[in-house]
Amino acid sequence: MMNTEPGVFGAISHPARRRMLDLLVDGDRPVNAIAENFEMSRPAVSQHLRVLLDAGLVTEQRHGRERRYRLVPERLEPVRDWIAHYERFWDDNFARLRRHLEKGDEQQ
Amino acid sequence: MTTKTIRRELKFTQPPAVVWRALATSEALADWMYPNDFEPRVGHRFTFRVPPDPRARFDGLIVHCEVLRCMPPSELEFTWVVGDGWLDTRVSYRLEADGEGTRVLFEHSGFKEDQAFHGAAYGWQMMHGKLAKTFSLSDNPASKA
Repeated sequence: MMNTEPGVFGAISHPARRRMLDLLVDGDRPVNAIAENFEMSRPAVSQHLRVLLDAGLVTEQRHGRERRYRLVPERLEPVRDWIAHYERFWDDNFARLRRHLEKGDEQQ
Repeated sequence: MTTKTIRRELKFTQPPAVVWRALATSEALADWMYPNDFEPRVGHRFTFRVPPDPRARFDGLIVHCEVLRCMPPSELEFTWVVGDGWLDTRVSYRLEADGEGTRVLFEHSGFKEDQAFHGAAYGWQMMHGKLAKTFSLSDNPASKA
């Protein structure tokens, strides 16, 4: 698990790849339907999809000559956890602030 | 660029002047956050010193801050920077009277994915793991009660 995380974070570090994931949220798409959203060349699109594949964020199915891509949302879990740590940091500290204020009340 | 923001609304029974003292004095911040050399004036640079925690194999950490806004008892904003820019963010509080108490609107903004998630993923990931452990170990409500 630890070894896979850098791949996931690296994979979403590029805006084009994040956009590709956004496109796949609504459902599977063939490579053409993904490529038409980008100005870049087809090989460049394929290269970005390859990074997403390697990170396990998408899977590829072949239907005859067509390649379709599907999002694997659970692979984003490390990213969600990473953000959640910061949220919990503040929740914990605010709980301490609250106790601090209540303690102050008693002293008055 | 897309950035992520943590937002919280907090309600306190104490009036804004009391809540302000808890948010904007060095002693109070040391109590509910970390040791610091905060001063309530715009332009003041200060640090929070997150202490080491051997149990979590955490070496400690310094958060670099600069006061950007300070309007007692209603607005406080400062930068929140860790490491050489891997976390370059801002923290702000807005206090509003709410009956006899206070409503605080809190924001921690500027989580830039590209920056936070950039190349040296492994290094900060280790650091982050340590950080997370420290946060969970350093705030045990049972030990403070």
